[in-house]
Amino acid sequence: MFNSKNFLFFIAVFIETIFNANGDLFNEELFIKPLPPAHLYTYFQFTTLVNDNLSSEHTYLAPRSLVEVLTRFQVDELHFTLTEGQWRHNHWGYPVLDAAPGAELYAWFSSDVENVDTQWKKLSSTLAGLFCASLNFIEDFNTITPQMALQPTGAIPQNPNITSQLRYASLPREIVCTENLTPWKKLLPCESSRGLSALLNSRMIHNTNYHSIGVHTRKVCSSSDCSVVSLEIKQTVALVYDSKIIRTTDWSFTKLFGQGLPGGCPLASSSKVYVDITTNDTQPFLLSPEPEKVLLSQRGGSETKLALYTIKPENKMTTIGAKYISKKDLVLMKLPPLYFNRYVLGYGKEFGGIVTELTNTFWSSIDVVVLQNAPWWLPIQLSSLRINGEASSEMVLARHYSPGRSRQKPYHLELLLRLPPKSTTKITIDFEFVFLKWQEYPPDANHGFYVGSAIITANLPTARNYTSLPGTASLFESSINASKPWYPAVFRTNGVMVSLPTPDFSMPYNVICLACTVVALAFGPLHNICTKELVLKVVGSSVTLKQKIINLFKKKKE
Amino acid sequence: MGAVVKYVIAGLVRYWLIHTDFWHTLSNRVEIATPLNSWKRLIEGVYLYDQNINPYEGDAFHESPIVLVIFHYLLKHVPYSLPFIFSAMDLLTAYLLYKTSRGFVRIFLNCQEKYLSDVSQESKDMVMTESQLKETSEYVLSVYLFNPYSILNCVGMTTTVLQNMLLAAALCGAAHGYVIISCAFLAFATHQALYPVLLIVPTAMILAEVNKGCNKCSYIKTLLAFVLSWSFVVYISAFIMDGSYNYVYNTYGFILTVPDLKPNIGLFWYFFTEMFEHFRLLFVCAFQINALILYIVPLTLRFKKEPILLVTVLLALSTVFRSYPCVGDVGFYMAFIPMWKHLFTFMQQKFIVACAFIITSALGPTVWHLWIYSGSANANFFFGVTLSFATAQIFLITDLLFAYIKREYTLKNGSSRTIDGKPAKLVLR
Repeated sequence: MFNSKNFLFFIAVFIETIFNANGDLFNEELFIKPLPPAHLYTYFQFTTLVNDNLSSEHTYLAPRSLVEVLTRFQVDELHFTLTEGQWRHNHWGYPVLDAAPGAELYAWFSSDVENVDTQWKKLSSTLAGLFCASLNFIEDFNTITPQMALQPTGAIPQNPNITSQLRYASLPREIVCTENLTPWKKLLPCESSRGLSALLNSRMIHNTNYHSIGVHTRKVCSSSDCSVVSLEIKQTVALVYDSKIIRTTDWSFTKLFGQGLPGGCPLASSSKVYVDITTNDTQPFLLSPEPEKVLLSQRGGSETKLALYTIKPENKMTTIGAKYISKKDLVLMKLPPLYFNRYVLGYGKEFGGIVTELTNTFWSSIDVVVLQNAPWWLPIQLSSLRINGEASSEMVLARHYSPGRSRQKPYHLELLLRLPPKSTTKITIDFEFVFLKWQEYPPDANHGFYVGSAIITANLPTARNYTSLPGTASLFESSINASKPWYPAVFRTNGVMVSLPTPDFSMPYNVICLACTVVALAFGPLHNICTKELVLKVVGSSVTLKQKIINLFKKKKE
Repeated sequence: MGAVVKYVIAGLVRYWLIHTDFWHTLSNRVEIATPLNSWKRLIEGVYLYDQNINPYEGDAFHESPIVLVIFHYLLKHVPYSLPFIFSAMDLLTAYLLYKTSRGFVRIFLNCQEKYLSDVSQESKDMVMTESQLKETSEYVLSVYLFNPYSILNCVGMTTTVLQNMLLAAALCGAAHGYVIISCAFLAFATHQALYPVLLIVPTAMILAEVNKGCNKCSYIKTLLAFVLSWSFVVYISAFIMDGSYNYVYNTYGFILTVPDLKPNIGLFWYFFTEMFEHFRLLFVCAFQINALILYIVPLTLRFKKEPILLVTVLLALSTVFRSYPCVGDVGFYMAFIPMWKHLFTFMQQKFIVACAFIITSALGPTVWHLWIYSGSANANFFFGVTLSFATAQIFLITDLLFAYIKREYTLKNGSSRTIDGKPAKLVLR
């Protein structure tokens, strides 16, 4: 007789073996960090590791639509984010992954790809369909190839001209909405029915100060000598809640996401929630329910306390929340080692300048790469580049400049700077406003034009305010006690907006007629002078109106 | 003595204005500096070249590579004497124009003598004497030295200063019969701004006139010299750019296709801002043909006896209709107007044209400020002003030509305007 219990067990073991054999690993994590005084950072990370040999024919937990795109266009590494709002580095510290406002896409193509530009265009148009974003507006005129600022994070074979396989574009005007979140959620194995992704309720998350959704794929080593690589797909959501919007500093899942957590995703190897309780010392709060464990992480001289919750698939509806015990005075955040600001100079619509301010608060110098990416309609003049007002500064260790061309290529400037300790560095560059053709202006032309943010890449000497994962790691737990000599980070400054001079959009016919009239004013007399000769003609007596009318009739009769 | 005082005063005014605080504003004015000739772009181009970045890769620089290396050298070695160099170039232009007009007067007198038999008895006193014509050269000099347009052009340190000097040198060479010098300078000017290519026709005619002999041989010789020297400068430029001819897209290509729609005093900018995209190519071709080819043949046939008038009219027409005109070009052709002092009595619209020049010159900067800085006007205001400025110039040109044919008629037929005792008027038929 067959025992039904045994049978079920057998099935479970069978399923387990299938999954282990194919080896797709899915992990979901949520990281919550209060940003005193009034903000709360929540960061979701869904990591799928595809251990199988890559084929787009069949996938297990990885989304087939995405894997197909990656294999089809031979993409080694891809980073795509859609962001609304501005991350304030000087108030909030650093996010796990920074993103530029609007849409940002960059990818490294495999070294076999020869015509990177066509592949890039195809990739961006395909992703536009996949995520319902306007990525199809990525053209040559807004694509650059960063030389120093971006480095692949995954395992890519050593290649001296790896940058030639890289393309970067940002669309700062892009607006992020529910229509982008829904296809993004479809890529998850549990979609939004179970697991942490069930918390991503578009009604609530678009009601935040800052929200960013992203897809990051890369190759990671699956053997110790890195002869075998596997694909890692990481889907992220970063949200910053404002206590003014949720009307209280106390928070809970119900308040933040509109519902509790209905248990982990059954397909996930682990579902974990980390709450950063370091600020508990200064602004005490009580977590409910009690965390399973409190982890102490010593990283680069700064100490972080993390409360850990493990969510099981069979868990009942849970809600994690925090209640502040006492409202203390304002707490000053420790300034991060490096923060920045960007703004536009000048008045009128003829000439202007962009200033990027970098502040190093650390006691030793920091090397940073600053990438300025100006669209073709904002021609910057390299000769006007000033660093702290000086034309040639010793702080510049290397420079790359690729001049733009109207309607074809953006202006692209990269500087490798050594920021002196405890200093603010001001990078100024002048630009001229361009007069566009009337059809090139977007609707509501006087709203202004968005200029993409600058990228700042730094190797930070300290982990103060640093939350990112170590380069090779996939999961959050590997950032605990992960002390390194330096901490690589890629930041985006805030974007800026300029208002270009506009023509009168209602005038095309009038202008064409008037300008042609003036040309005709020259053509007519010149034609007369060249083809006719002067003769004397008797001046007749003036004809009365009556006579004229009679003449008119006479002619008709004839 | 008087001439020296003029030069000194004009030179000092230019030198002083470059050193005032207004210099920055002046050198960035849209009326003075276009994307083609502005000092700012020259600096950027030279800077990029100095940093080993090809200035023609981007959109910043549209001057010829020869100008690039000249200014690279000057900015590297004598950056402080550049105001002096620009003033000196402009004074040299004035001197060359003076010399040119002296030559032109001689040619003019020869022509007059040749056709003296055609002059009717009644109009004999209209024939110009040598002393009358001598003083026109003085006027040419004064007009170039003290014309606000040419002063502003020089103060703005635009490359049009160099362009004007090359043109003046080419015309001076032609007036004195030096084929090679004239053609070489004209080729360089053409290399720099393309539109001076028009002047090869009157230049060939003047050279044939001055160097008596076989006319056709002279034309062929001139044309050959011009084509050879033009190819030579094009080749030299490519040699400077390491054998690449890509600079052509940024110089001639930029002039011909008009990609930069920054306002200037010409007709192109707003027209092509408001142009429907699918008609753009058609109208670019139409406007460039209008500026480059259309008028040259009919005017040459009509005024083959008067190559000097042809020079004046072609210079003026190409200034009105070129894609990136600036006040420096206007100032240059205006210097030739006093040569036609004897036509002034036949001109009908002198007052209107003069008023239009004064009013538009004052109104242009005003409405520009209102549009760009105050935000209280829009593009149409500035467009209206540039349109009337162009109209004024066109009236000046056509009026000059009408005055010329009227004088021609009067010389031939006397000044009476009656047929069989009845009053009559001159009409074109």
